[in-house]
Amino acid sequence: MAAETQSIPTVHPAAHDEEEDHRDQLMFDPRPREEMNHMVMDAMTHTTPRYWLAVGILGAIVAVCLFGMWGYMIATGMGLAGIRKPVYWGVFIVLLVFWIGISHAGTFVSAILRVFKAEFRRPFTRAAELMTTFGLAAGALYPLVHLGRVWVFYWMIPYPNARWLWPNFRSPLVWDFLAITTYLLSSTIYLFLPLIPDLAMARDRTTGWRHFIYKTLSLGWRGTEAEWFRLRKAISIFAVAIIPVMFSVHTIVSWDFAVAQTAAWNSTIFGPYFIIGAILSGVSAVVTILIILRSTMKHMDYFIRPEHIDALGKLLLVFSMAWGYFFFNDYMVSWYGGYEAVRQILTLHASGPSAWIWYCMLIFNIGIPWLTLWNKKIRRTPWAMFIITLLINVGMFFERYTIIPMTLGHQRMPFDWGEYSPRLPEISIGIGSLALFMLLYLLASRVIPLVPVWEVQEGQEAHSLRKVGKTTVPSVAELE
Amino acid sequence: MAEEQYPEKWGMVIDQDICTGCQACVTACSMENNIPFTGEEEVAYGRGMHWLRIQRYWEGEYPEVSPTHTPMMCQQCGHAPCEPVCPVFATVHSESESINLQVYNRCIGTRYCANNCPYIARSFNWFDYEVPAPMNYYLNPSVTVRRRGVMEKCTFCVQRIYAGQETAKKEGRALRDGDVVPACAQACPVDAIIFGDLTDPNSRVSQAARSERGYTQLEELGTAPRVTYLKGGGTYGG
Amino acid sequence: MARPIVHLALFKEDQLEQATEAIHALRHLGVSDKDMSVISGVPYSEKILGRPMSWTRIPLIGGLGALAGFLVATFLNFGTPLLYPIRVGGMAYQTIPTAIVVTFELTMLGLLISTFIGVFVETISPSFGPQGYDPRVTDGHIGVLFSSQPELDPSLHETLEKLGAEIVHGAEAKKLWLF
Repeated sequence: MAAETQSIPTVHPAAHDEEEDHRDQLMFDPRPREEMNHMVMDAMTHTTPRYWLAVGILGAIVAVCLFGMWGYMIATGMGLAGIRKPVYWGVFIVLLVFWIGISHAGTFVSAILRVFKAEFRRPFTRAAELMTTFGLAAGALYPLVHLGRVWVFYWMIPYPNARWLWPNFRSPLVWDFLAITTYLLSSTIYLFLPLIPDLAMARDRTTGWRHFIYKTLSLGWRGTEAEWFRLRKAISIFAVAIIPVMFSVHTIVSWDFAVAQTAAWNSTIFGPYFIIGAILSGVSAVVTILIILRSTMKHMDYFIRPEHIDALGKLLLVFSMAWGYFFFNDYMVSWYGGYEAVRQILTLHASGPSAWIWYCMLIFNIGIPWLTLWNKKIRRTPWAMFIITLLINVGMFFERYTIIPMTLGHQRMPFDWGEYSPRLPEISIGIGSLALFMLLYLLASRVIPLVPVWEVQEGQEAHSLRKVGKTTVPSVAELE
Repeated sequence: MAEEQYPEKWGMVIDQDICTGCQACVTACSMENNIPFTGEEEVAYGRGMHWLRIQRYWEGEYPEVSPTHTPMMCQQCGHAPCEPVCPVFATVHSESESINLQVYNRCIGTRYCANNCPYIARSFNWFDYEVPAPMNYYLNPSVTVRRRGVMEKCTFCVQRIYAGQETAKKEGRALRDGDVVPACAQACPVDAIIFGDLTDPNSRVSQAARSERGYTQLEELGTAPRVTYLKGGGTYGG
Repeated sequence: MARPIVHLALFKEDQLEQATEAIHALRHLGVSDKDMSVISGVPYSEKILGRPMSWTRIPLIGGLGALAGFLVATFLNFGTPLLYPIRVGGMAYQTIPTAIVVTFELTMLGLLISTFIGVFVETISPSFGPQGYDPRVTDGHIGVLFSSQPELDPSLHETLEKLGAEIVHGAEAKKLWLF
């Protein structure tokens, strides 16, 4: 039996600082609640001149580039934008899909990870939920921006009018309207519910106008058993119910394209393909924002750590692969089908005058993530992750650009083919909506507690280090 | 919701073999339907407001090339892809004329119908187009002028259909073949465009639609177009 | 009989054991479960605290909202096309596949909004049991709130202090919300 004895590996003495290693993780590095409260309040009330400068600049951009330009376009006509026959939908719809995609982050992080009890979610569920709400706020502008006659947009709302003429419930745009409304309302509520205990915390620690706001919003929260019980019941209803709503929203957005006759849009895989794309871009945006929060807000380096970026990075790698799978699936089947119009479009995506967009999409969404995200060291380097996640979002913007204007321009009648390029209104309003998102986020970061303190404390109480044999292992108790 | 039901189903036949691509129909259409002129630059950018356009494709290799002309307008599909996607019922199927209507003052300008039209037959009012001073006397009082932000398209000259029906009613007779002639058919010097009632098997349009040279555009999409094209590929048979 | 006095026994965040002991001890001293309430900065389940189960109507309210949403959706899908029938794209006036989409969205909207309304109404409606509050609760302290007859005071204080509690005598309700 000599061979067997030889194969026993040499046992390394256990590292003494193992316990220290675990303290890298927020859940094993508990601090008293009072201290965490203080850190969150401090981060929330601390503003620097740089912050106000950013608020001022972003506010000016929103006023001029978004609302100014939009107002000018309403007064003059849609013709200011670059859209033309046959590319009737351009960057406005690309941005609609882009922002709705971003908004999938919050629900994904806080509902799906909550349902599956992924513990690393705890410190940043709120940061992600805020993205959902503000992403939707920015995205919901675009169906209005792109309307030819926005002043009668309310004709899409189902209400009884003098002629008893109701909207057409067979139109995907009405589904869109209903889905976006449902998602915006429910994600705002879903942001608010877990916020109530933190608002009560802020209420107890503030005076003046802030106190009044928190007092109003916290609904007289005391933290009794009945209140907690109700809250948890409601959160669990929401966490389960909002997931299918999230899936439905991007599926319906994809149906705007997929139910059409348009060649290369009429694809049955668009629903899941869009959802995966949305989650990929949403989770990337969460990482981008977390890195910004961590480096600009006080005390955030305690709550948001490389371990969180690392965990999200792993998810991103999975979603990037899933996106690649769906992209290939869509491409393969369309290409093999051999329908001349579709084949022509696919050829032009890769070799037409805008082909660089198609290649950038593949590099940013597949090439870069697959080459980098497998590496733990890269996943734990904030600046690298910042660049990678930003590029993924650029790639996802290009994906939607490929699907919408680059496909519309080359339909079945070659006589009417046309190239599209955005003009000033598209660029200006696009920048304006990005500024709007950033401005809302910046303002909210100083008004609402950005870290769900009670969830972090709950998590820290459930986690402990247990000695098993010669080592300590992290263990989680099921307290619920 | 029409008060009166008429039995006619209107249809059109376009003979590509005799079309010379002279654009007279395009001009007549613009004048009849108050279609604004958008100017050289806008047309070059792809914003010409044509309800009817002549698609010209070259056949053969240079120098042995010959053009084919396809006058293309709204095909008045029986199963129109543009209709169900409109959120506000601005483009609907008229059950009395069996054509596809555009309700200008209901349109909110989503442009979804135009994306979903495989024939690219729709035009969008990108701006308010002004009709310069003496030209406004040419405006046809039977046709609405459209403002910015709404979609428009060929109506089979629905105002002429109504006029024809009313004249017939006034004279106390049934509508005869040839009572209703849309502007394009009227202007065509070679009579390549034939319009009439498809329910009457003896009308000129029904006879022409039965021709062996007949085909409909993008048949594979199942849109059931009401316009038949005739093209014999040089054989002129049938 | 004298007016009962509201007490709040505050335990530090790592004194969960003692807090549950205190609840047990109070029960022995004759304070019934309905005169007691636990307030805390993080949720502890009834099982951990050894308390009777709370109840809520939120799932019921949510279910009713979902039903309302479903009915509205059914009217919009199948009722409105009859009010003003318009033929589009060769489709029937009432189409089931498109109806499913609208029904799903509005049912979910009804469910989620009424769940929230349930939370809102139940939170602001007056609650029975002792009213009282201390801002240290949101700092992680666990507060055992109870009302008892004044003559029990000495024994109560002694028992609770032995368990390490800090006692706020007469922690009557403060106005925590607008009205």
